[in-house]
Amino acid sequence: MKKHINLLSSLFIALSFVACSDEVEDLQPFTEGNPETFFNSVESFQSGVNGIYSQLWNYYSSPGSGLQGIPDILSDNVILATTGRRSNEDYYDYRYVPTTGGAIPLYWSEAYEAVNAANLVIGQIDNLADGPAKDNILGQALAARALAHFDLARVYAKIPTQSSDANSSPGIVVIKVEDGDTGDPFAQFTRETVASNYAEIIADLEQARLLVAESNGEGRMDKDAVNGLLSRVYLYNGNYQQAIDAANRVTTPIATAAELPGLYTDSNNAGLVYELAVNTSSEANFNNVGVLYSQSNSSATISEYVIDLGFWQSIDVGNDARAEVMRFIGTNQNNDYNAIRKFLGEEGQVNGRVDVKVLRAAEVLLNKAEAQFELGQEAEALATLNELRDNRYDSYTGGETGQALFDAISFERRVELSFEGHRWFDLKRLGQDVVRTNAGDIIDGTGTPPEVRVLSAGDPRFQFPIPQAEINANPNMEQNPGY
Amino acid sequence: MRSKYSWILTLLLAFGLQFSFAQEKTISGTVTDGDGLPLPGANVMVKGTTKGAQTDFDGNYSISANEGDVLVFSYIGQKTEEVTVGASSTINVSLAADAQALEEVVVVGYGQKAKELSTSAVSTVAAESIESFVPSTSVDNILQGQAAGVQVTAANGRPGNTAFVQIRGVGSINAGTTPLYVIDGTPIDASDVPNLNPNDIESMSILKDAATVSQYGSRGANGVILITTKQGKGDAKIVFRSSYGFGERIPDPFDIMNAEQKLELERQYAELGVSAANALPGANADAQERARLIALDTDWEEELLRKAEIQSNSLQISGGEDKLSYFLSLGYDKNTGIIDRINGFERLSGRINTTYQAKEWLTVGANISASRSSTDLPRDRNNVQNPFRAMYDYNPWDPLFLRDANGNVVTDDNGEPVYNPTTTGFPIALALQTEPESNRNFLLIGNLFADIKLSEHFSNRFSVGLTNNRFNRTTRSIAGGVLQGFVGDANFPGTQTDNFSLDFEYNINNLLTYTDTFNDVHNVSASFLLEYNENIFTDLFVSSRGFPSPDIPYQDVAAEQTNGGTSEARRILFSQGLFLDYDYDGKYIASASVRRDGSSRFGPENKYGVFYSGSVAWNIARESFLENTFVNNLKLRASYGTSGNQAIPDFEFLNLLGFGTYNGFTTAIPLGVGNPDIQWESQAILDIGVEFGFFNNRLNGVFDYFKKNSDNLLLNRPISQIIGDEDNAIFANVGEIENSGFELSLNYDIIRGQDLLWSVGGNITLLDNEVKELVGGEDIIRGNTILREGEEINSFFLPEYAGVNPANGEPLYVDLDGNVTNQFSDGFAKLIEGKSPAAEMEGGFYTNFRYKGLGLRADFVYKKGNYILNFQRSAGVSIGNIDGNQRVEAFNYWKEPGDQNVLPNPIYQNTADQTSTRFLEAGDYVRLRTLTLDYSLPSQFLDGTGIDRFRVFFTGQNILTFTDYNGDPEIGLGSAETAEPGDAGFVPGAFSLFSYPQTRSFTFGFELGF
Repeated sequence: MKKHINLLSSLFIALSFVACSDEVEDLQPFTEGNPETFFNSVESFQSGVNGIYSQLWNYYSSPGSGLQGIPDILSDNVILATTGRRSNEDYYDYRYVPTTGGAIPLYWSEAYEAVNAANLVIGQIDNLADGPAKDNILGQALAARALAHFDLARVYAKIPTQSSDANSSPGIVVIKVEDGDTGDPFAQFTRETVASNYAEIIADLEQARLLVAESNGEGRMDKDAVNGLLSRVYLYNGNYQQAIDAANRVTTPIATAAELPGLYTDSNNAGLVYELAVNTSSEANFNNVGVLYSQSNSSATISEYVIDLGFWQSIDVGNDARAEVMRFIGTNQNNDYNAIRKFLGEEGQVNGRVDVKVLRAAEVLLNKAEAQFELGQEAEALATLNELRDNRYDSYTGGETGQALFDAISFERRVELSFEGHRWFDLKRLGQDVVRTNAGDIIDGTGTPPEVRVLSAGDPRFQFPIPQAEINANPNMEQNPGY
Repeated sequence: MRSKYSWILTLLLAFGLQFSFAQEKTISGTVTDGDGLPLPGANVMVKGTTKGAQTDFDGNYSISANEGDVLVFSYIGQKTEEVTVGASSTINVSLAADAQALEEVVVVGYGQKAKELSTSAVSTVAAESIESFVPSTSVDNILQGQAAGVQVTAANGRPGNTAFVQIRGVGSINAGTTPLYVIDGTPIDASDVPNLNPNDIESMSILKDAATVSQYGSRGANGVILITTKQGKGDAKIVFRSSYGFGERIPDPFDIMNAEQKLELERQYAELGVSAANALPGANADAQERARLIALDTDWEEELLRKAEIQSNSLQISGGEDKLSYFLSLGYDKNTGIIDRINGFERLSGRINTTYQAKEWLTVGANISASRSSTDLPRDRNNVQNPFRAMYDYNPWDPLFLRDANGNVVTDDNGEPVYNPTTTGFPIALALQTEPESNRNFLLIGNLFADIKLSEHFSNRFSVGLTNNRFNRTTRSIAGGVLQGFVGDANFPGTQTDNFSLDFEYNINNLLTYTDTFNDVHNVSASFLLEYNENIFTDLFVSSRGFPSPDIPYQDVAAEQTNGGTSEARRILFSQGLFLDYDYDGKYIASASVRRDGSSRFGPENKYGVFYSGSVAWNIARESFLENTFVNNLKLRASYGTSGNQAIPDFEFLNLLGFGTYNGFTTAIPLGVGNPDIQWESQAILDIGVEFGFFNNRLNGVFDYFKKNSDNLLLNRPISQIIGDEDNAIFANVGEIENSGFELSLNYDIIRGQDLLWSVGGNITLLDNEVKELVGGEDIIRGNTILREGEEINSFFLPEYAGVNPANGEPLYVDLDGNVTNQFSDGFAKLIEGKSPAAEMEGGFYTNFRYKGLGLRADFVYKKGNYILNFQRSAGVSIGNIDGNQRVEAFNYWKEPGDQNVLPNPIYQNTADQTSTRFLEAGDYVRLRTLTLDYSLPSQFLDGTGIDRFRVFFTGQNILTFTDYNGDPEIGLGSAETAEPGDAGFVPGAFSLFSYPQTRSFTFGFELGF
């Protein structure tokens, strides 16, 4: 008997060594996936691409710092409402430093997360069989990665057309899995030049436009989205003919005046070339991007930023279809304000949860008009501009030439794309000053005027500082001048 | 005549003999120790039979035996005596102390060991101490002050809540710091401890040094607490114990304002120009309104709290015969808690422990327990929903119920009084009823074992342990209730979330042991351990809205579900160990252990970790030169070894993909960059100790010096954000901290007489700690505490307050250049040298007095050298808080030039209402933890009643506290929902912010033994 027991226990011990070691080594996570094995079908790859979009959505829609609104807060389009929470005041007053919270660390970190998500998809793309489905995945990933890199470049570095030294000044770091940039979590990258950044961004988009599908449904990159983005990037890079060509490839018509109100309440997608979308019926807890400008309840609208009175008065309010979507009268603590209506919410809502309009056909037209003007094609530029103006109001003088034409293009751009995250970059890339009017925040221009009225072109604050956390973690990272 | 007498005598004797041969007689007597003290629980056996008895509390026994039988009297630590039964039916025995016997057995690691042969620093807390604390519902609370080197702080006063237990200081920064709990060989979660019935516990062994914790490998670094439950022996015994009492909040050492005082302070503030006071009634009310408000004077503590009702009942049946032993127990505990309108803690528990000798070579056994507990959870955060904040914060001129214009209580359509929303807008007494949260636990712990004696030298123990805890939580927001008004949807009134989780863990181990003795003096033992441990945690939850009736709290009736989810997590630990022991005649002892752990939590490069220890001891008392001296016990011991802490997150070594949605479609995004090199936190402990017993062990104690280095601590190493990691950091094993200190415990029997016993004792731990290494030498600032190389762990990091300028009452601070300034900036924060939430000295002491059946025992606990950020006081004197109630102390503000030791002038609200060293207070205290008075009825009164024992007792807990702290100094959780164990930067006892306060209680009970 005892011999048997001894034998049995020896056997038990020997077996358990083997079996148990396997258990320890083979255990896998349950609610997380394995990035090395997950991507094996078109559907799983599309989930990966959706992941890139969700990372873009994170920084575009952030209720505190969304890229949808901060470029307007930095510009001359809005003025701080002193009865609000004074959110983003450090940005509005240009007091930001490398340790400032909010947009500065957010864009840097989230855009690179989008790049990382894109590289994960691109790096494993050969798991899919060649064909249009594979091309469409790769095209979306390349385009989304390009958008993230482009946002980083225009926020933290100079824009090529901004000044003569821009192209040779420090840009950002472009991370591409194809170039072997990924894989080492402790890598400490150095900055590349702006010229090299734009070349790489354009290369990604040019590749993407040949791969991506005609249409991928709401919230996803497709041919129009890539071409629309190309027209913008070429314009920023001073490649005017290419900007025109790209714009010409965009087929989406602009939203009509009648469609405009529905566009901003997500009742229609008229004139949308690319948006970061939210499904409010299933995603009840997503970001409320409109909170950047105001929070409302049944009794009050607590505005953070309201329309600059000078800007508002430059619009033909009675005639221009855009006036209605730009403004409503918001009341807080017995004061009325020129409150911002875009991003207030879906039809009937005031919660600020709407799709982020990243690229619209109207912008593509304006990109084209400006590029035509830059190439000296003034008649064509005027015709392009009128295409938009005719759809918005009929009270314009028209027939501009020379500087007047350029100013008209800039004006329409400012009005059409107001509060949608463009104005700061438009001033920056054209090397113009930010000049705010001296009006106060209340509806009639009384109240408190801006603390800082002018930011001169050439001010280093046109480039955000590199976040201090990055400088700390990466000694090779060069800080922008002036910080 | 003489022969006649002798004949009769012979006849009588013959009769007598015949009588006694034919029928057993009852022998009774008293068993005492060498000093004549009664020995309760001594064993009396009839030699060669299974008949046995135990002495009662007074050392009395009775047993039936035949004349000529041999009675064997034995008691741990005493020499065994054998007495042949003669004519007399009374046998009194005195058992001499047995210094030589390898008497006292301690549970150490994977087995038991004679205490004398142990080379390890082990503290033991026995049933006797545990029982005197029994109105405590949780076992870990009982450990407080009972053992040197064990730092116990009650989390808060919520009944059924656990305690923070740390053994020899903080051993980690980001990983867990709670010790490993093992009950009868089965590891359990610290969170399961409140669900154990303290009455079932025989002893607790706390393993503190490498000699024993190394045997637990990657789980031993925070120390190990071994809980051994009771086993049956001897004649069947039935014990019923019942107690009843009440608990209440420990009174504050300060007063808060009544309506009249509060109105006056508002008036003064408004007059000074404090804008926050302008709208308050004290500033505006006319004389009539003022009188009306004063008449409404409300003590919110009285309105919201109540006296807790504390009940404890326990029934135990135990016994044993030669092959079988059994212990059955049932327990019921209830503590309603001190919050009115919600339920407190309730626990029902049962246990069966049994062993059976199936074969000569095989003993099998099972220890199985089940317990169900339920608790209502109040909101425990710093907002209007917290009743413990409300009682300080709600204005005394705001009554509980709403009044109409005539001053009558407003009633609703049902005639019920309507709760006053008060100036806070939150009718808290209603919210307690409409926003309930209830938690239920059902815990099963089972352990089955088989001891196999393979040969004279080989034995094997195989055991399977499992714990299974089912957790349910229901949180509701009832339609028409307070929160529904704020966040509810009018179309779907009422919301409810149900959570269900199952925490299942099983543990299989096999211990093969070889023991042998050579030349009578070389004792050798070697054990080989194989152990497999797996934890499977599953959870699911669902949330719904739209409930037709508040009386139907089930998801099935909800209009629609709004959220739901399931998840699972597992971890596996597989271990092998080899434990070696050697002693030379009990004099020179050496032990060594090595253990190899494979853990699913470690990276592929570090799947297996090896932990080892070596220890030696010298029993000097056994040397001939100490024979027959006053020295009964003198042992020197030393140990060194390693252990690990695997309480790190799962799968940190892997790149992971997380899932979510974008525009209603599935997303897959990289969650973070894994660190394939991740491994356990490691620890090395050096321990040198002396154990001693003098004068018949009347004076005995233990002294230890230890140095514990916790290395490879997991810290977030920041990485370039260009990598695109979600956390922009990688967990890496880089930090190091050191704890060192002295521990001393002493016991002295001042009087050791037949009827009179008086003993005193106590323990003290002096603890020092230092941060040795952090990532790149960079400080880690976590709120108001900081980790800095070369400094105390979690030192406070605050701006320094420099008092009030006597000229104008302006608060002053010290800037970073050391200059006193009237400015305030968070940037002035600096490390406050030598002040941290960790105590430098803590422990407990007791006195136990007993005269015949009457006993009085007092246990004190104390703590010194820790600091607490008293946010609660800050809130009570904060100028901006004038819209809520204040402490009476708030009147003591600067009023005229020259005023000193006053609060700042209220006009400097902006710089005065700031967090600084102003509210950093010493947390030193001495507390009378328990005072127990008991009386056992002498056995002669119980003769013939069938009752063996009747004892009545009265226990008071936390009835006296000595402290200078402005509040209750015993703080674990500052604010339970704000900072909990597991949250980054959580430091127990760092601040006080209206968590469930400690309570004092008075209970009366009795114990009946059959």
